[in-house]
Amino acid sequence: MTPFRLSLLSAAIVCSIAPSFADQTSPVYGIRDKTPNLLAFTNATVHTEPGKTLENAIVLVVDGKISAVGSSAVPAGYRKIDATGHHLYAGFIDAYSNYGVEKAAAEQVFEFGGKPVYQNSRKGGNASNGAIHAEQQWVNTFVPVADDAKTYLQQGFTAVQSARLDGIFRGQSFVASLANGLPGELILKANGPQFMAFGKGSSKQSYPSSLMGSIALIRQTLSDANWYRDAVGKQDQLQSRQPVEFNAALSALTNLEQSGLVFETTDDRALLRVDSLLKEFNLKNAVLLGSGYEYSRVADIKNTGRTVIVPVAYPAAPAVANIDDQLDVSLADLRHWERAPTNLAVMAKAGVPFALTTHALEKKDQFWPNLRQAMKHGLTAEQALAGLTTVPAKLVGLPEQLGKIAVGYQADLVIAKGDLFADGEIVSTWTRGQEQQFKPLKPVEFAGTYAVDLAGKTLSLELSGSGDKLSGKLKQADKHSELKHVQQKQQQLQFTVDLAAAEAGTGVLQFQGALDGNLLSGQWLLPSGQTQKVMLSKQATTAKAEDSKNGDKKADVVDTKLVSMLTFPNRAFGTQLTQGRQNAHIKNATVWTSDKAGKLENTDVIIKDGKFSNIGENLSTPSGYQVIDATGMHLTAGIIDEHSHIAIEAGVNEGTDAVTSEVQIGDVLNPEDINIYRGLAGGTTTAQLLHGSANPIGGQAQIIQLRWGVTPEQLKFKDAPPSIKFALGENVKQANWGEDFTSRYPQSRIGVETTIRDAFQAAKEYKAAFAAYDELSRGNKDKVAPPRRDFRLQALVEILDKQRFVHTHSYVASEILMLIHLADEVGFKIHTFTHILEGYKVADEMAKHGASASSFADWWAYKMEVQDAIPTNTCLMADRGVMVSINSDSPDLQRRLNQEAAKSVKYCGMSEIDALNMVTINPAKQLNIQDKVGSITEGKQADFVLWTHHPLSVYAQAKQTWIDGIRYYDQERDAQVAAQVAAEKQQLMQKVLGASDKAKQGSGGAVKKDDPIWHCEDNGDWLHAKFSQGQIQHLHSAH
Amino acid sequence: MKFQKSVFALLLAAAALPALANDIVPGAKQSTPILLKGGTLHTVSQGVLENSDLLMVDGKIAAIGTHLTVPADAKVIDVTGKHLYPGLIALANQLGLIEIEAVRATDDTNEVTDTNPDLRARIAYNADSEVIPTVRANGFSYSLVYPKGSALMGQSSLMQLDAWNWQDATVADGVGLHINWPSASVATNWWDKKKPEELAKENAKRLQQVKDYFVQAKSYVDAEAAGLNKGVDSRWQAMIPVFKGERPLFVHADDIRQIKQAVLLAKEYQLKLVIVGGRDSWRMADELAAAKVAVIFTAPYGIPERDDEANNTAFKTPALLQKAGVQFALSLDGYWDTRNVVFGAGQAISYGLTPEQALASVTINAATIAGVEGQIGSLDVGKAASVVVSDGDIFDYLTHKVRYMWIDGRAVDLNNRNQQLHDKYKQRPAG
Repeated sequence: MTPFRLSLLSAAIVCSIAPSFADQTSPVYGIRDKTPNLLAFTNATVHTEPGKTLENAIVLVVDGKISAVGSSAVPAGYRKIDATGHHLYAGFIDAYSNYGVEKAAAEQVFEFGGKPVYQNSRKGGNASNGAIHAEQQWVNTFVPVADDAKTYLQQGFTAVQSARLDGIFRGQSFVASLANGLPGELILKANGPQFMAFGKGSSKQSYPSSLMGSIALIRQTLSDANWYRDAVGKQDQLQSRQPVEFNAALSALTNLEQSGLVFETTDDRALLRVDSLLKEFNLKNAVLLGSGYEYSRVADIKNTGRTVIVPVAYPAAPAVANIDDQLDVSLADLRHWERAPTNLAVMAKAGVPFALTTHALEKKDQFWPNLRQAMKHGLTAEQALAGLTTVPAKLVGLPEQLGKIAVGYQADLVIAKGDLFADGEIVSTWTRGQEQQFKPLKPVEFAGTYAVDLAGKTLSLELSGSGDKLSGKLKQADKHSELKHVQQKQQQLQFTVDLAAAEAGTGVLQFQGALDGNLLSGQWLLPSGQTQKVMLSKQATTAKAEDSKNGDKKADVVDTKLVSMLTFPNRAFGTQLTQGRQNAHIKNATVWTSDKAGKLENTDVIIKDGKFSNIGENLSTPSGYQVIDATGMHLTAGIIDEHSHIAIEAGVNEGTDAVTSEVQIGDVLNPEDINIYRGLAGGTTTAQLLHGSANPIGGQAQIIQLRWGVTPEQLKFKDAPPSIKFALGENVKQANWGEDFTSRYPQSRIGVETTIRDAFQAAKEYKAAFAAYDELSRGNKDKVAPPRRDFRLQALVEILDKQRFVHTHSYVASEILMLIHLADEVGFKIHTFTHILEGYKVADEMAKHGASASSFADWWAYKMEVQDAIPTNTCLMADRGVMVSINSDSPDLQRRLNQEAAKSVKYCGMSEIDALNMVTINPAKQLNIQDKVGSITEGKQADFVLWTHHPLSVYAQAKQTWIDGIRYYDQERDAQVAAQVAAEKQQLMQKVLGASDKAKQGSGGAVKKDDPIWHCEDNGDWLHAKFSQGQIQHLHSAH
Repeated sequence: MKFQKSVFALLLAAAALPALANDIVPGAKQSTPILLKGGTLHTVSQGVLENSDLLMVDGKIAAIGTHLTVPADAKVIDVTGKHLYPGLIALANQLGLIEIEAVRATDDTNEVTDTNPDLRARIAYNADSEVIPTVRANGFSYSLVYPKGSALMGQSSLMQLDAWNWQDATVADGVGLHINWPSASVATNWWDKKKPEELAKENAKRLQQVKDYFVQAKSYVDAEAAGLNKGVDSRWQAMIPVFKGERPLFVHADDIRQIKQAVLLAKEYQLKLVIVGGRDSWRMADELAAAKVAVIFTAPYGIPERDDEANNTAFKTPALLQKAGVQFALSLDGYWDTRNVVFGAGQAISYGLTPEQALASVTINAATIAGVEGQIGSLDVGKAASVVVSDGDIFDYLTHKVRYMWIDGRAVDLNNRNQQLHDKYKQRPAG
């Protein structure tokens, strides 16, 4: 037989003929296919469901369904498949896939400076935002793709839940079998859950450009869907005065809780963020796609009560081969490399329900090696099997059809040689009784010794190994010649051998033959060209297989001993334990109270239950209190920063529209930002995190306490009144954004005024619509649509209602006066002007309006509108009765706001007490939290800093920083931790250097990277950069 | 029409700008001797002299001590209880080259092309900049300004800060050839998506490019010496003093990998090397000290640039350099913020420098790096009469109050735009 025919034969084996299902609606061309589908798998170890195994069992299949499982006899007429030595599992289900759905058009590489796109092209009833495809039913586009299916089938997957993975609301998924066939036959469930994510995918629309914008869009859309359910078919009498529009996207979302949703997350922070967001809308029927970072927050994730679909992709080891490049390697990445394979075991141990997915893997064949690595860290076979079968079967809503080997279930089966969860190997995967064979069930074993008579000599042919690894030699006494060109296809075998090496002649001898039982019959093709028929008989194996397996095994050894610490945040300087409050007695300090008591020398302060309980001289130490001798040291209230952009994730601006009051910094807090810790090291305990300054009405601010090692929710300053960022001047008129940004209204300070006025007018009309609706009779309410809740206007209503405080970025006198006049006209208050570098020119007007000011100490000259900035601004404003604070607007300055305040002593002779108040009690008042913090006053929260020197001196360092009676920063502890970080890093790098190439190689696992240091003017499409393939240039910022 | 339009735009642009010239008159040449009496002299060279006098004659320091012989016509200024320092020196910034960062028309820091060793910073130095007087007001009398760019950036010039124009401002020209060293980091981030391998490749390519420029320049210089050049290459012509060792290389580099590469290049061509930036300089301080490489450390307030670095890494760097014996100056590589360099030096004291060492980092060390240590940088007889008088410790906000400044014996007006606006709005009637 020629090699050509051999390969034809092999192709036929792999693609075994598909059993045909009844073609229900399409006409049959030619002769009908009536091949039966009656299968009997015998002698198998059958894993009927996780934790249940039948030995030596049979499984009967009739017409694609399992008809019997157990030990009964095989009825006549069934095709018998002897699975001796094999394990049977129910086919696996991947609940997160885009199989059979065309991908979105290739994303354009994003570059900042591209023209903004404000509108989405409208078709039918699509949403006004290009990232919302909620109305898509991807089942309608499903086309099976055999090559893609095979990559799943090879790993044992037989069904997927699929949708296009593009955009925020991605549309409805469906469940399909990975078998061959017409799409209609393969669809197991047409209406699966809505797929969702934060990234906007292929949408070219500028909005949203930040994570908080994406969240705001989701919130508005979910709210709109609820409204649409009530409003559709009615007249929108109160707002647009039109019938309620047809909106396919909203219509598709009106019963989201019933249809369910799957939300893709990229790390543990995102996962927890999604959970809170969905809870706002009481969406319980939601599953989250995990990232591999779940281990780092497993208790919190367990508390969500949600099932997680978990990828088994791991990150590559950080590159540590070059000694200097080790500087670019972070402890966080090293830790994650070590711990990512423990993720599933940690989740299982914690009791987080999970399904497994091949999503995120670079190649699907990394699935089993990675899963086995997870098992070495403690994931059990039962847990893994559940994650592949019963759990996802339930998730996709087909628990009665998929996921078990039981009567009535679909005949989706995985046959493995050996235990798949140990070192077994999948030989074939069956979908509804349809076979995809990857290895022969009964491989032909050539290994053995064959006596060979050749030219009168007796030689022996020794074959060892099997399949691709088949090798052998021709031996004569102690001489031998290795076989070459060994080719084996089923029973057929070919090889060549150089006779000289075995001293059996000269030239190359060729063999071609086939094995039948123990007889290898065929022919020699002699060097002369003559052929010679031959029949060789296999003897018991004497030749030891050259076992390369030992070597492989060595490389596979997984070092399960962990050297990394797990802290929160899980990075350098993270904390390992939740730090508790300490009762303390601070003795003999110079206390700068920042209240009317002024500065007190040689004073004691008692801290009890997180509060200042007693301040006085020579106090006695209550029993059990920690004593801190502060002789020679200074004690101040914790420093408060009115203007900061730390701890914000994926974008500080939603500058894609002139008014974006719907976005909330509070949605995107990042408690893992190292700048929190750095701020503490400079004595800062509280900060207002503001939206950037890209638009006249920006987003909602969030006041936080710089608690290091807590959750986003715990970062928030409890019960602080809400606030919002406005901005005026160059940034909002896009003066320095480049030539592409000249079309958005406003482009001038004149237009900024009308923009703000119109927005407030809209808010007033909005509020009136709700009032009018409340007054309607029940009969009219049946006809009139309820007003649509608009989170953008809602925030402005809160300002008008004096429930939300305005902090406005502003520089020049004209715009300051403008806003004061406008606020008086419209009926709202400017609480604080921030930056306000020309405040000294209009201080009287500010004081009269009741606005306070928060200034830079000495910044100027970096752009046109700061040309008149002066470092005596603080004194001049204060002299005219304006309450003044100093802010940082930078994580760098946030570490020395005491020094920034001291500049007013230098430049304009401000009293030291007044200067310090500019970073303590004054900003507390600006944030409306002065009753809780901002001074060392009995009864207030124990937020304080212990300084080595006079707190306004350039020589002062923060020794300790406390918040709420908890010591969050300690200079000595910091030095110890720095040493620990270095030591742990060294150990982990050692581990990487000693690891096998395989262990270093990644498989597509997520790696968290820090955000850039945010500035007011960072306007790029950060959402696109973060969640898509886009790149972004870090915009130079001018604050 | 197009022409008219652009003229109109130009006019508009001009109209939109405030006066970019200050109205403060530079001090007149010293005509009479001046005696500063009874001050605390921070001499730099001879420690601190309490209750001492300093005599300035014809723009030079004529005498220091007590019971000085004072010329009859000397103007005597009582500085009892006040602190005297040499005029402070800020190295490596864009003072006078840029007025308003966001307004391109006011920015003369940057030239296109990689190879600009023939550019001289002083050409664009605007002696009338509004920014300069605000920097003087905090004690700075000198500044080394340099052109920015992508590779071989150009030559720096040391300017005195009280002048009519760049001619009389120039103290030393062609001080250093400034090189923006190619990046050596392979740190990745999520917004530009480059992989470490790609970064390493780009870095290697850029490094080779810079090395190639040196090969080209050297071949020109050698051919020039042999009389074989057929014309003048303005760029490489300007490299002659560099290869002769007359003009040091000022390599702008923060990363240890960059610094190592620069040290190798300087060694190969036997060039004098100064590192500007120097964030990682402490990691190889001993090596830098041994190779006599000076450092202009521009991050006295630096926030860590790597995830795992301790918060105070940059703060401690000056003391570590001092300990290893590296000659260093402190600076901020900007323009308006140059006035804060003195406080950066103050903070370095709290992190381990002595006050004398901190002072040296903004006086004599800076002068030495700029090659003018014979003229300025300390209170020594014969040196320029450039003196700053502060009410108290010049390094601390609480005591810093500059009362007087002389540059070459010329009294400097300490008024400035900030002060003028302050004074104006003080007078606004209560509204």
